[in-house]
Amino acid sequence: MKHSKTAFLLLVLVAALVLAACGGGDDDTTAASGGDSTATAPAGDETTAPETNTADTTLEKVPTIVVRKGEPVGGIQELEFDSGEQIRFKVSSDAAEEIHVHGYDIAKEVPAGGSVEFDFPAEIEGIFEAELEGLGVQIAELRVNP
Amino acid sequence: MSWLPLAHALAARQDLPVPAWLFAWGASIVLIVSFFALAAGWRKPRFEQANWRPLGAGISRTLLSAPAQALFGLVGVFLLGVAVYAGLRGTEAPDRNFALTFLLVTTWLGFPFFSALLGDIFRPFNPWRAVGRAAGAAFTAIAGQRPVHIAYPERLGRWPAAIGLLAVVWLEVVYGASGGVAVGLDPHAAGVATLVYSAYTLAMMALFGVEKWCERGEVFSVYFGMFGRLGCFGVNEGRLALRRPLSAATSWATVPGSVAVVIASIASTSFDGAQEGAFKNAMESVFDWIADAGIGLTTALRLTDTIFMLLCFAGVALVYLLGVRGMRTVPGAPSFAKLRVGFAHTLIPIALAYLVAHYFSLFVFQEQAQFTYLLSDPLGTAHTDLFGTASGGIDFKVLSANAIWYVQVGALVAGHVLGLTLAHDRALVYWPDYRRATASQYWMLAVMVAFTCFGLYLLSVSNG
Repeated sequence: MKHSKTAFLLLVLVAALVLAACGGGDDDTTAASGGDSTATAPAGDETTAPETNTADTTLEKVPTIVVRKGEPVGGIQELEFDSGEQIRFKVSSDAAEEIHVHGYDIAKEVPAGGSVEFDFPAEIEGIFEAELEGLGVQIAELRVNP
Repeated sequence: MSWLPLAHALAARQDLPVPAWLFAWGASIVLIVSFFALAAGWRKPRFEQANWRPLGAGISRTLLSAPAQALFGLVGVFLLGVAVYAGLRGTEAPDRNFALTFLLVTTWLGFPFFSALLGDIFRPFNPWRAVGRAAGAAFTAIAGQRPVHIAYPERLGRWPAAIGLLAVVWLEVVYGASGGVAVGLDPHAAGVATLVYSAYTLAMMALFGVEKWCERGEVFSVYFGMFGRLGCFGVNEGRLALRRPLSAATSWATVPGSVAVVIASIASTSFDGAQEGAFKNAMESVFDWIADAGIGLTTALRLTDTIFMLLCFAGVALVYLLGVRGMRTVPGAPSFAKLRVGFAHTLIPIALAYLVAHYFSLFVFQEQAQFTYLLSDPLGTAHTDLFGTASGGIDFKVLSANAIWYVQVGALVAGHVLGLTLAHDRALVYWPDYRRATASQYWMLAVMVAFTCFGLYLLSVSNG
């Protein structure tokens, strides 16, 4: 039965590796649940949680994606939202383009040298692309978490 | 630089990675189930016999009758024709063209999913088999004798199908590259590829015989048929019958090359799942290295993808063969070759679990398109409305992120349990002594835990 012991040890090793991986993941868990608690916090908590200021439209800085020569400046922008929030962002471009948000299937024209603002509820969970429809170039990745 | 998974051009939405807490739960359940499986095993093989229970004679005779078979075949040929025509003549917008969704989602994912429940449902609809049989019948009627075929070299076994399976996946996820960016397969290329494959398949059928080629070399018959072995309906003594689920899988792998087929399935799903997450950085390094060597960007991307796809195949094969090598050390073990073939079928549930975990949401969403606008406007012309459903679309709200996660992790855990069940059962055939059978199963357990946890890991880092 010597060999089955080797196998058993192997199994324990695999188990240990998996648990280690889970242990590594624990940080993420706490971080993620921390994020959730701020997101689901009642509106009264706004003073303690600056991220939830989204409701306050006057102070909020809407993320802006700058497009130059058919490319997003600084690479594909990653924007993260929670389900039920408003998805808000601006796109400014040096050339006229149509901006298309996949999944939500929302398209808006941006004039040359101008900007356009998107503002719609985060109803669908998942990962979505926003792209320059004419060029087929991705400019942003929207993540809508549950 | 971006790596895009299967049918990316179709999918307007991608899954969120499985959160860490669910990964931890999934992995823990897998480990607990595994140790429990060692202790609570049965002592006599249970799945080696099918326990056939025939269905009513009427329904069996109707479904197996020549007119019904001809009808199913015609449906298959017609749909294949529509797909090819749409691919060649329809819009180049991948998501508005019937061809890509029908070929890559409805059939490529639908047949494995439903075959695993029902049995080999592709066989009656197989368009090439239908054409081949019709041609054979016509030949017999005209020439007054049955067509003569070359004897199939049995040593080749299912190897042509295994290589074909890798080629199909290669076409789907590797070929569609342009200027160093993965853009996905375009409808026209899919149409041409289908025609080329049809010509090849019909030639092979003429050479070796229709049924022989379907059993050995026809990629879709072999691949879908593999999952069909898990399902609960089959034909026994000329009659449709219920069988014990999983039981038909036990005799699947006796043909050479079967091990390669199931490994190719797991490997290609792994590759598709990992290219954007787990392998992303490594793939970018290799891509840069190849591109720096002065090779064109498109070629460099395809080369990188090909290398990693083959590495996946080698990796999955290595894990399985190490497990087999381990079992060989248990006293009374049969030969390495016998063990390798003997446990191959235990990987079928794992292959199915990988498919469900990676493509379940794509299937649910894309089938809505298939049965609305793609059905009414197959060419994507925007002014055809055959069934009045052209204005329909995909409702992404039918599945929440949580629902998708639970299905993904649930599929992997279920695949793990079914794989262990089949492995334990087979061990009892080789080692009548219950304790030795259990000892051998430490090895298969390690293999299954490795595959399942790797599957969970891929889900948790997808899109990283």
